Amino acid sequence: MTGPVEVPVSWYDGQTALRHEGLLCWSGGSRLVLRHREAEGIELQADELLFRDARPGERVYALRGSPAFRLMLAGEAPREIEALLPRSSRYGRWIDRFGLPRAAIAFAAVSAALVAVGMTAPNWLGPMVPASWERRMGDVMVGDLGNRICHTAAGDAALAGLAARLDPGGEPIRVGVANLPIVNAAALPGGRVLVFNGLVQDAKSPDELAAVLAHEIGHVRERHVMTAMLRQFGLSILTVGAGSGLDRNVLGIAALGYSRQAESEADGFARDRLARARISPAGAAQFFERLRKKAGGEADWAGWLQSHPSSVDRATAFRGAVRKEAGYTPAMSAREFAAVRSMCRDDKDVEDFDLF
Amino acid sequence: MEYGEEDAASAFEFDGTWREFAPIAFTNLLLTIVTLGIYRFWATTRARQYLWSRTRFVDERLEWAGTGLELFIGFLMVLVLFGIPYFIISFVVQALALRGQSGLAALLTVGTMAGVFYLYGLARYRALRYRLSRTHWRGIRGGSDDPGFGYGLTFMWKTVVGYLPLGLMVPWSMTSLWNDRWNRLSFGPFGFEAGASASGLMARYLLFYLAPFLLVGVFGVLGVAALGSGAQAGGEVTAGLVVMVMVGIFAFYGMLGLIALAYYAKFFREAVGSLRWRNLEFSFDASTKQWLVLFLGDIALVVCTLGIGAIFLSYRHWKFFASHMQATGEILLDELTQSQTKMAVQGEGLLDAFDIGAI
Repeated sequence: MTGPVEVPVSWYDGQTALRHEGLLCWSGGSRLVLRHREAEGIELQADELLFRDARPGERVYALRGSPAFRLMLAGEAPREIEALLPRSSRYGRWIDRFGLPRAAIAFAAVSAALVAVGMTAPNWLGPMVPASWERRMGDVMVGDLGNRICHTAAGDAALAGLAARLDPGGEPIRVGVANLPIVNAAALPGGRVLVFNGLVQDAKSPDELAAVLAHEIGHVRERHVMTAMLRQFGLSILTVGAGSGLDRNVLGIAALGYSRQAESEADGFARDRLARARISPAGAAQFFERLRKKAGGEADWAGWLQSHPSSVDRATAFRGAVRKEAGYTPAMSAREFAAVRSMCRDDKDVEDFDLF
Repeated sequence: MEYGEEDAASAFEFDGTWREFAPIAFTNLLLTIVTLGIYRFWATTRARQYLWSRTRFVDERLEWAGTGLELFIGFLMVLVLFGIPYFIISFVVQALALRGQSGLAALLTVGTMAGVFYLYGLARYRALRYRLSRTHWRGIRGGSDDPGFGYGLTFMWKTVVGYLPLGLMVPWSMTSLWNDRWNRLSFGPFGFEAGASASGLMARYLLFYLAPFLLVGVFGVLGVAALGSGAQAGGEVTAGLVVMVMVGIFAFYGMLGLIALAYYAKFFREAVGSLRWRNLEFSFDASTKQWLVLFLGDIALVVCTLGIGAIFLSYRHWKFFASHMQATGEILLDELTQSQTKMAVQGEGLLDAFDIGAI
């Protein structure tokens, strides 16, 4: 074919709203010229053209570097010019390159892998965080809990003594009695265990208290607290725009954030530590048997019942761990137990534990 | 060149079809799912490209010139500039509360809420500005050089004043904020002028305002009468009575919603009707009944398709908007030159974070 190849087009120059009519001409190479009746031709390089849109009756191209210039082409251009025009795009550059089905499958595979990593990350990442970091994070997040922890010299000494007996070695666990009339206990970030005063008053023997304490120490030592914190952290990142998930407080995380598997692990830890400390697991069995009887009766028990394995199974497991020949000694002396039970009554300047 | 009155009656025309939109909507849904939501910025862009290009203003189609990338950048900016501080503050508040510093925690919480309130107003304006700056007509775009920080403050005080006198000034705050937004914006070389007034809206607003009391009265009398007849019939709470109470509650909220819609329809007619641009006057002609049909249609579409129909909502809303928009007057093409306003590089990320519509 000889002579210039041309096709009628119209364009907006991006400076005024006037529509220009003319010809798009090609005479070799990648150079295109827009010819107008009156004005001089406008030179374009074909690789400066960008596909914008395919709309009824025309295709629209833009020009790199002049954001509002638009070239409109109605119908087909001669094939020399068509070959120079950029290909139309539909879904976006990456997806157009691979085609929709392949791109969708690739994206789905990557997403599934990311979700799998994200969902299991807390479980393997949690134990890798050094305990000293967790302690520092816990101190920043929780602090000393203000004046809501009951303190008396005798009570503090008795609790610290029991914690040391259950968990000898390592950084000591900080145990406190929270001034809250709920039958529950919680492991908080930073190696801190709170037993609520309601549970202390409900416990019929120091062995029951020791079992609960051992269970919560289990959550700390098995790194369940860190795992729950990471899970919560991930969730709040996901929901940061929506604003939900941010207001769940630290106690909420600690009390509800453990899986049943983690609860079983903490129970196993408790049985092991009770045995080593020569404290009878019968106290724990009694505690769970009482839980079962009260179930449904009092709302205080709901927290324990929802997130923990069934009380019957737990009582059976602890009952089965009792060894006749073990030579158990009480977890605390009667005087120590009494000191712990009167901590909140005797601490004159303790505040009520209402968080928000 | 000049457009006369005769063109003006149908200045906006929408010629899209849901059959053409469906492939866009379904592939957008698929890609959004497989990319864990990240594609939605590109999905929004594709949907808008279609909707804008099927909307004709006088003799030329609109063009959406925004990109998915700029929406994505806007989202990332919101995440870094606002999401992370918000996240940290929520931890600080918790730590303060746990240390017994509840006063400081409350102060920080109130401060954060005030900040979010400010950003909400700012976001609303900036989203509108972004959309105008990416809307091309005959190669000309809109925009504004006003970044909207002042509007954010105006939004705060006018909204508060609107609710202070028992909510009676809400129509004033809505119309006056509409004016504040549009008077900052321009298309090509000319600014918009908005002069919406609340005076024509007060009757419907008062109806909405007083409706709960009236409805409580009416339904209360009906309820007592029903109970009385129930008592006469032997004092048993029959299934019929329960159904009547349920229907009553349903009717109460239905009517309240209807009156709210009647107010909003009138507000939107007033707001758009007050808008001028150079020699053009805009109007919006959707009646309360047409808004109601739109919303009932939305609900039916979403419910009957178990939620999947939601991908067509943007289409329905745009079609509703474009087919009820009117403009009269004339445009001198010779004087319509390119907007000299700055182009924002990022999209409406902030608004996206608050999940609200721009107009």
